[in-house]
Amino acid sequence: MHVTRLKYVAILIVMGLCASTAQAVKPPLNRDTLTEGRRIYEQACAWCHGIGGEGDGPAGWFIGRYSSPRPRNFVKDGYKLRSTASGELPTDQDLFKVITRGIPGVMPSYRSLNEQERWQVIAYLKSWNPAFKEEQPVPLTFPSGPQGPTEAGIQNGRNLYVKYDCRVCHGDNGEGDGPEATAGHLRDTYELPIRATKLTDPSSFKNGASPQDIFRTLMTGMDGTPMPAYANEFAGQEEALWELVWYLRSLSGQEGS
Amino acid sequence: MPSKHAAIRAAITGLALLSGISALSVQPAQAIPAFARKYTLDCVACHTAPPRLNTFGERFLENGYQLPGTEDGGITGKKSLGDLSLDDFANYTGVRLRGNVLRSHHFKQQNPPIADRGTVHNNSEFGFPEIFSLFTAGSLTKNIGFFAELESNLEESSTGIERAFMTFNNLGGNNLVNIRVGRIDPSATFSFSTLRQQLEFVGDSVNTSTNMVQRAGLFPLAASAKFYGLHNRSGSVISPYAPSLYNAVAETGIEVRGRPFGDWFMYQIGLLNGANETFGDSNRGKDVYGAVRFDYARTAHFSASLSGFAYLGNSNATILTGTGQADVNWHRYGIAAHVRYKMFDLYGMYTLDRIAHMPTAALTSFDTSASGLSLALDTYVTNRTLLSLRYDHMDAGGDLSQRTSQSFAGFQLKQYLRSNVAIFARTDHNLRRAEDGNAAARNLRHALFAGIDIAY
Repeated sequence: MHVTRLKYVAILIVMGLCASTAQAVKPPLNRDTLTEGRRIYEQACAWCHGIGGEGDGPAGWFIGRYSSPRPRNFVKDGYKLRSTASGELPTDQDLFKVITRGIPGVMPSYRSLNEQERWQVIAYLKSWNPAFKEEQPVPLTFPSGPQGPTEAGIQNGRNLYVKYDCRVCHGDNGEGDGPEATAGHLRDTYELPIRATKLTDPSSFKNGASPQDIFRTLMTGMDGTPMPAYANEFAGQEEALWELVWYLRSLSGQEGS
Repeated sequence: MPSKHAAIRAAITGLALLSGISALSVQPAQAIPAFARKYTLDCVACHTAPPRLNTFGERFLENGYQLPGTEDGGITGKKSLGDLSLDDFANYTGVRLRGNVLRSHHFKQQNPPIADRGTVHNNSEFGFPEIFSLFTAGSLTKNIGFFAELESNLEESSTGIERAFMTFNNLGGNNLVNIRVGRIDPSATFSFSTLRQQLEFVGDSVNTSTNMVQRAGLFPLAASAKFYGLHNRSGSVISPYAPSLYNAVAETGIEVRGRPFGDWFMYQIGLLNGANETFGDSNRGKDVYGAVRFDYARTAHFSASLSGFAYLGNSNATILTGTGQADVNWHRYGIAAHVRYKMFDLYGMYTLDRIAHMPTAALTSFDTSASGLSLALDTYVTNRTLLSLRYDHMDAGGDLSQRTSQSFAGFQLKQYLRSNVAIFARTDHNLRRAEDGNAAARNLRHALFAGIDIAY
């Protein structure tokens, strides 16, 4: 009995330590945080995003040149990579994830900044968009998927891929060579040509390539690009969306979770 | 005599062949060079068009191959030997194959008396891209980096270490003091970097018996030696087209650099063995240099910089006198600037060279000053097509019987098949060919090249 009580106490202490560590990592929103965030931003981020956060940094143009993507305009753009519904702002965790993981091809991972520095940068870049003060972004809930794919499930996923016209952009076999893509009709909000993601190459997935990442991308869409959100279409049918996820993963030979 | 049209036809045929070969041979893999592989980025995250760096790439270089504003070497580089995989090796190693598959030179006078037989006449020839470089670079741990480049040049029949150095960064605070030591390229962080040119160097040709230049080189002439009749300390002639002093491809020494007051200002001081020798240290003293750079890089897809340097040589060259060889001090002063706006990248440099401590006996036959000007413009005309122009002028100095000034204009179209695979066609025109004389700088009328540039 005595030992059991000690165990509970120990667990509570560990949980408390974890909680206090997590709280300590994310600094309070105050002048010091913003000042430090600005310093880091100007040394690490402004080259592409611009000193005023408008996506017009001196190096940013070369990433897309005459095509998408351009660096994010933090002042007025929407956000592609979110866990929130289409059209909404991202959560702090979404921004933290992007800074930590980077975006394949266009933005390096900044996990070399410590966590506190990353939170400070987030606080600073959010300060440009007043909507962050008015809204409290709420992430969509993502139910965990089935244990793993089945052959029938993958086939169902293929049927959904056809039904929802994914092939029009991503091509019959996910090579990013659908008729809309090859015709050059795909544009972002700046009317810049944009390529369809090559689903056979998970390393190029901008929003991550894990089953959960793909599920989230399908639910939220990628604002500012032709990739729509399917949250409404699949409301209450998340099982079916998981089957589409398994099919998409099968295109690159990946199976299971 | 091959006509101009024949040469153009040959160039087009060459480019078509190259396109075909490249299209067939390039695999749809993640074909990106070492730093890009390491950070999962496209080449253009750091380059306007390789090898030219954009502002982000410049700061990455200055930070010792760490992301600007970070000290990421300790995170990405920390691995024990047993844990290394082929991927880790690939993240630190890259190769570049570049050069001309077709080269065509046209002269005013065929086989002039000053030339080796058969070397100075109109010709068009196919060949294998002549320059192969193997790089290994990155961060060993937090704020300690390294770079080594092994280059093999088929045209010059040479293989050797071009640059090899260690970097120690952010000493005393962020970007306060950064040190490079080893075989360094002093102009790497200057507004006009010798090694980061879209129009590649095309070497001159020297008469094997008289050591006189028989075919002019095509080179950013502001960065070149500019003197005729100058020798290094081992007695070999220094070509007036050789990159030298502050603009050398590599010299052995140490350099300190930083931006102590913020991004707008950079200082650089260095100490080199000098003497224009590939290896070794035969000169009595050391060469010193100092440079400053002012930057504006904030917003509106715009950046600009203005730089100045002074390089003071110390017994770093010799000239022949009637009685033997005498040491001289060869100095250079230069200013450079770049302006970059969206697709336009304009950069240029003016240099003034002086020879000091000249033996009195040689003063009447040797011009002790020379100057050079190079202006370049690169611009993307489409997403994958880069147009480059360069103007070069050399007001040559040195041996009065040989020195001939030179002005050339170069034009290049480069087509990127992938971000790391490009083919190009280039033509260079002598702007002073109509002037008298058949010296090398006048005799070369124009040249045409087509080639390939692959980095992996």
